[in-house]
Amino acid sequence: MPQRTIAVDLDDTLNNFTETLHTGDFGFDAAYGLPEQAFAGYMERLRNGSMDVDDLLSTEYSFFRYKIHLRCYGLARARADGVDFMRWLEAAGWRIVICTHRDLRRANACTRRWLTDNGIPFDHLFMAWNKIVFCRAWGIRHLVDDDAFNIAHGEPYGVNVYYPIMERRRPLEANRARGFSSFEEVKQWIAG
Amino acid sequence: MDRRVELLLEFYAGLPRDRAKVETRRHGFDYLERMLSDGVTLEYGELTLDGLLHKYKLANVPEHRMTELLRGHVEKECNVCLYFDDRANSLFCFNLDNNFKVNNTVIIPELELAVELLRNLLSGLGCGPLVVASGRGFHLWCRLDGPVDNDRLYNFMLRCAAKTAAALCKAGHDHNKVKINLYPDRRIRDVVSLRLFGTDHAKNRVFSRILSEGGLLDETASWLRFEQHMRGNTVAAGHFGEAYETMMAAF
Repeated sequence: MPQRTIAVDLDDTLNNFTETLHTGDFGFDAAYGLPEQAFAGYMERLRNGSMDVDDLLSTEYSFFRYKIHLRCYGLARARADGVDFMRWLEAAGWRIVICTHRDLRRANACTRRWLTDNGIPFDHLFMAWNKIVFCRAWGIRHLVDDDAFNIAHGEPYGVNVYYPIMERRRPLEANRARGFSSFEEVKQWIAG
Repeated sequence: MDRRVELLLEFYAGLPRDRAKVETRRHGFDYLERMLSDGVTLEYGELTLDGLLHKYKLANVPEHRMTELLRGHVEKECNVCLYFDDRANSLFCFNLDNNFKVNNTVIIPELELAVELLRNLLSGLGCGPLVVASGRGFHLWCRLDGPVDNDRLYNFMLRCAAKTAAALCKAGHDHNKVKINLYPDRRIRDVVSLRLFGTDHAKNRVFSRILSEGGLLDETASWLRFEQHMRGNTVAAGHFGEAYETMMAAF
């Protein structure tokens, strides 16, 4: 019997990334190389989730965003039921792929450190801009992820998507994904 | 061994060969398992936005596997990108990219001028670069006959890049339209790699043609120029020291 494989997202799925971004103590620090007013403006823009309308790829703001995100990756708390779930997957013989939007060129080391520090097992680490395409290409039938695009588009492409129910989520498109309050629910769905 | 692989091994001899980033459309767990034999490990993988183009950052690559990868590189089955040594290197490279989000494989006037300015600056210092089309711009490679400390290389490159950006501004251009990355860069060691000469770009499938003073060379002429550059333009470390002092004194 082929090994069962599951892809699991990190930010706002296994951790509290957005909460960390909004409530973390990111006071002004001259090490960012910005005037205090620019720092405050960028921080507000980042927390508001404003669209990046700049025509250029690499800008002062994009570098600032990367540095703050990197801090959030380290500070974010792991969900206890998520950690249990990942350990259960490993014990049950699943192949675990961590699948993230993070830029792993820069975040590989801190991501691995966070996973190790939290005792979260995994087999492979992948970044994918389109996780449905990734799962389909790699024959992965199960994806745990909070992203609205994946929730809406998994099922038509043969990917079962499970997403954490969140209070502050924007309305979702019609979908056949399954929302969960606890990872215990996912265990039951995929074990069947 | 394929002559082209021999040339690559010689030109890039100073770069670590136990790690690489491999770009290919091949994917799947069976492929990954084969790739990860002989002790090779995967640091991370990536599915890009370009169809099914995947990137794999590999570590603990034994010598014979690197040779295999380079064979795949010149046969255009995959692209091999190498990282720089953490402490000292006998190669350094300026990576000039079109910094726009869209249509960024177009050679914009600012990029064209920046390459010309930087090439002239380096040539004037006796460090004439090999200029290779990279997809979004150009790589300007300088080869030394021995390793030089990374801080020294970075300080030199930073000043050359600043002078180029200033000259762009003076000519009435916005220097932000061109992104200049420096390799090796101690801030991002083991983070960024550069694609080697001798294969097609993974996205636009255009060969990494060499930009001579007369324009872009075709594939055959590019290989010839690659070898000629290595034989005739490798800079003596002592000479680099003079160029370094010149740039330090200029700022």
